[in-house]
Amino acid sequence: MMSFRSGNRTDALRYNAIAYTLLTITAIVLMFPLIFSLSLALQGETVAPTLLPTDWSNLDWHVFSTVFERQPIMLRWILNSFVVSITVTLGVLVTSSLLAFALSYLDFPGKGLLLFFTLGTLMVPFEATLIPNYLFVARLGWRDTYQGLIVPFLASGFGVFLLRQYFLTLPRELYDAALVDGCTRLRYLWLILVPLSRPALATLAVYTFLGTWNQFYWPLLITNSTEWRTTQVGITIFRDFELGVFNIQMAATLIVMLPTLILLVLGQRQLVRGLTAGALKG
Amino acid sequence: MTTDDRTGLPLASGTRREPATKSTTTGLAALMTWLQKPRIQDLFRALLYSSPALVIFILFTYVPFIRSIWLSLHITNIQGDPAKWNGIDYYLRILALDGSGRTEYLTSIGMSFQYALMVVPLGIIIGLGLAMLATAKVRGIQVYRTIYTSSIAISLASAGVIWALIYNPSTGTLNWLVDLLQLDSPSLLTSNRTSMAAVAVMSIWSGLGFNFIITLAGIQAIPQDLYESAAIDGAGGWHAFRFITLPLLGPTLLFLVVINTIGSLQAFTQFHLLTQGQSPNVFVYETFKSFWYENRYGFASAMSLVLFAILLILTIVQYRGLNNRVHYQ
Repeated sequence: MMSFRSGNRTDALRYNAIAYTLLTITAIVLMFPLIFSLSLALQGETVAPTLLPTDWSNLDWHVFSTVFERQPIMLRWILNSFVVSITVTLGVLVTSSLLAFALSYLDFPGKGLLLFFTLGTLMVPFEATLIPNYLFVARLGWRDTYQGLIVPFLASGFGVFLLRQYFLTLPRELYDAALVDGCTRLRYLWLILVPLSRPALATLAVYTFLGTWNQFYWPLLITNSTEWRTTQVGITIFRDFELGVFNIQMAATLIVMLPTLILLVLGQRQLVRGLTAGALKG
Repeated sequence: MTTDDRTGLPLASGTRREPATKSTTTGLAALMTWLQKPRIQDLFRALLYSSPALVIFILFTYVPFIRSIWLSLHITNIQGDPAKWNGIDYYLRILALDGSGRTEYLTSIGMSFQYALMVVPLGIIIGLGLAMLATAKVRGIQVYRTIYTSSIAISLASAGVIWALIYNPSTGTLNWLVDLLQLDSPSLLTSNRTSMAAVAVMSIWSGLGFNFIITLAGIQAIPQDLYESAAIDGAGGWHAFRFITLPLLGPTLLFLVVINTIGSLQAFTQFHLLTQGQSPNVFVYETFKSFWYENRYGFASAMSLVLFAILLILTIVQYRGLNNRVHYQ
């Protein structure tokens, strides 16, 4: 490990060689499931696929459009997932901003109680409320509807916590000055606080979108007809539609992963900030 | 803030004092004064601003949580309404305290812990290894970091579909391992000996992105000068890791232990997709079966509250017990 000290050129070269080798081998091992799924997708319809394609000149890139031709319902699932994820994300941004504003700028009796009530939602695991929630939403007639998929997730204790922490770092004098100048509180929130808090809002948006897009348990319970499924439940019932047709299964899975993978690459910084928000406070 | 010397009520600045000749007008005036206090005005605003979130919290977290407790104390009908008071019989049944000697639910709690013990330590250690690797000072390290983080963006459902095919004997990927272990079944997923481990491997892979990125952020938060002064003292490599990185990562690793344990004990999707709850019946899957296939809403509610209690106790124990060994800066 002494070679980690720089200064010597051969040492530096050796350091680079070792680092890149280790990094690359690890990356390939970690990406194996993705490489595997791409490999299977491109091998055409076969009952005995190989780990890597045997005939590299004959890869079936059309498989990604074949998916939509054979299972046009995929388009509907993708639409459902986008409608649900975008609406939930926007809803969480609005409800969290409003509540976080009250918790960081207003001064009123019972503020501590309101904060406790908000953070308390984080202590109740999803499973502990699942059954009554299912019965309630079903009784409202919201199975196989967008409301059923969206409304229960329109507020987030984590989102309020994240935004409140951020709002508290902004100068309070700005708020007092704006009020003196006759700015209403909602205008202040919308015109000053929201633009200033763009990093925190972006973090919450990326985090919420990703979480909603990848939901499985709730959509599985609350949707029943094929056209109301979301992508995540959809690809799993694909296994029954396309039993033994590995290339279609894998192509569909890769398509469904695409939006979140793009989001990860573009919004990695925001996402990391969101994920570490709870971790590094100690 | 001034106080009204006749009524004793606090008075907002700028409010005119009303004479206290008639008691009714005094009461009304006091109320008006009180309503005009900035703190009270802010209270109404706060209630207005928080109402959208509060309605959701009440309707979809607090009411269902309380209803869950209520249901768990009843035998329920097919519509999910309480039909007959049952006391704590369901809890006794789950914890095998009802004297029947049937312990299948206790066993499934044990299975859940067995699964968590496979996933949590390995996931955190591998994540730590990846994070150390990703601190290498080379060009293009960001690309590697993105790759190591990528499993965050891949849902459990997608991962489950892919891993189901990796384990599928038709793809031939792991047949060598099945032969090596001399399993009595063609797939790692269908053999009683290996199915739990097979699900665990998939879960570890799926959780690596999160463990990696949290650990990396923790390492990057360690002040660089600590390493520099250690290097002057001749300590590098393993010693720096053992005596600087690891102790200062304590709070991060503690957080990961707690979060990963909670996540593992709640795992549902991977069992639903990989084993369909056949061989390793973890507790959450047993709950799902009672709820979804058998419509025993009261009993399943009791199960989900047992899980809630386990998670709560574990979190407290882990924070209390491990906190003493963790160094905070």
